[in-house]
Amino acid sequence: MDVSIINPVLEAFTNILPQIGFQTVTRQGVSLADSTLLYQGVLINVGVLGPVQGTILIGMDIDSAKQFASKMMMGMEVTEFDSLAQSAISEMGNMVCANVCTNFVKSGINGMDISPPTLLIGNDGQVRLAVPKVIVVDFSVDTIKIKVYVGLYK
Amino acid sequence: MSIRIMIVDDSAFSRVILADSLQQEGYEVVGEADGLESLVDTYSQCKPDIVTMDIAMPGADGFECSKVLLAYDAMAKIIVISSMKDEETEAEFRRIGVVGYVQKPVESEVLKRVITGVMSPDRLYEQLDNWSIDMFQEALAQSVTRMTKTTTTFSEQTRSDREVSQGITVVIGIIGRYSGSMILDLSRETAEKMAAVILRRPAKNQEEVMAMAAEFANIVGGVACSMLNKKESAFGLRVSPPSVFCGEQTKIASPTIQLRGIYANNDFGRIYLGIGFKKGMVLWM
Repeated sequence: MDVSIINPVLEAFTNILPQIGFQTVTRQGVSLADSTLLYQGVLINVGVLGPVQGTILIGMDIDSAKQFASKMMMGMEVTEFDSLAQSAISEMGNMVCANVCTNFVKSGINGMDISPPTLLIGNDGQVRLAVPKVIVVDFSVDTIKIKVYVGLYK
Repeated sequence: MSIRIMIVDDSAFSRVILADSLQQEGYEVVGEADGLESLVDTYSQCKPDIVTMDIAMPGADGFECSKVLLAYDAMAKIIVISSMKDEETEAEFRRIGVVGYVQKPVESEVLKRVITGVMSPDRLYEQLDNWSIDMFQEALAQSVTRMTKTTTTFSEQTRSDREVSQGITVVIGIIGRYSGSMILDLSRETAEKMAAVILRRPAKNQEEVMAMAAEFANIVGGVACSMLNKKESAFGLRVSPPSVFCGEQTKIASPTIQLRGIYANNDFGRIYLGIGFKKGMVLWM
């Protein structure tokens, strides 16, 4: 596991989420997985290009996504994962991944950029990233469980 | 109707100076916030067209306030006004989604140019938006012909920010002067038929089918971006590695961009191709 790749991502979550209304961001585990993964609920897909490139996926189930969006929108009630909630979640993906680029710059890797987020919403889905191994990080964000799949390479 | 502006700055003095200068240029200052605490409430009450944002503020700085505002309203148009102006500060604001940057001390002519730029259509973006679907369509047709020796016809174009997958979806991020996404979606049967022709044998498993879809989409995206860069080198478009998603009834949403879509029909079945770019950063002075 390449620490120089994973650290900027971990740092971005602990930097950004407290800025958008979350109190605690706890890392619950880090593991390695193959390039094909199973998912339930929502996946935010952000493409990364530069000296380090690939994809970052942020996943959570639909109920967690609704809770997450509600917190981001100052506690507004979110009963459906509608376009407003989708927009909030996708903005979170954009901010975290933008901060990942900034953290890479701090460690001397310049010229990184990200694509706009795309959301995939479904159950019993499968995803395949263009890397041999994916680093999976489990976070608990104010007790909301999220999974981050880091498919980046140098 | 005049353009409505909200000012975010911790210094009362700076707010007065800026409000004065904006009003003299004919803009309407509809709200002021001195930091994070009153930011979202003021914004939701006054509903401005543009927010000006200071960077150095006690507590939450301009980065944090911009993130909070964009988390509340992804469409908020923020212009940073600050004495700080270095490459990395600008790059971070750009990635967050701030649309303009003006250095202090503010010259009202410069600020006016940036506000006009933010509020008016971006010609280069419009060209990209107009050309992109034709170029991606051409790249798709060429790639199908080269890889399978068959021809493709296209149905009418659509515009949407959401679709339902036919079974397999490839997402490719695009980065350059404007960032964007390409989505290629097809049914498993269509992908299997294509894989059988390209591999000259049936695919061994779903993994091979997904790998073929990824490679095919990567070629289409790469060819299309090269064609667009040849037409206008200022685009500087590059594609990120593909992600392939597989699942029944999966919804695909791109909240920050409107996708122009088209259906390609060939011997293998129907392929949806969606492409969209984010307007994003407009003017930096």
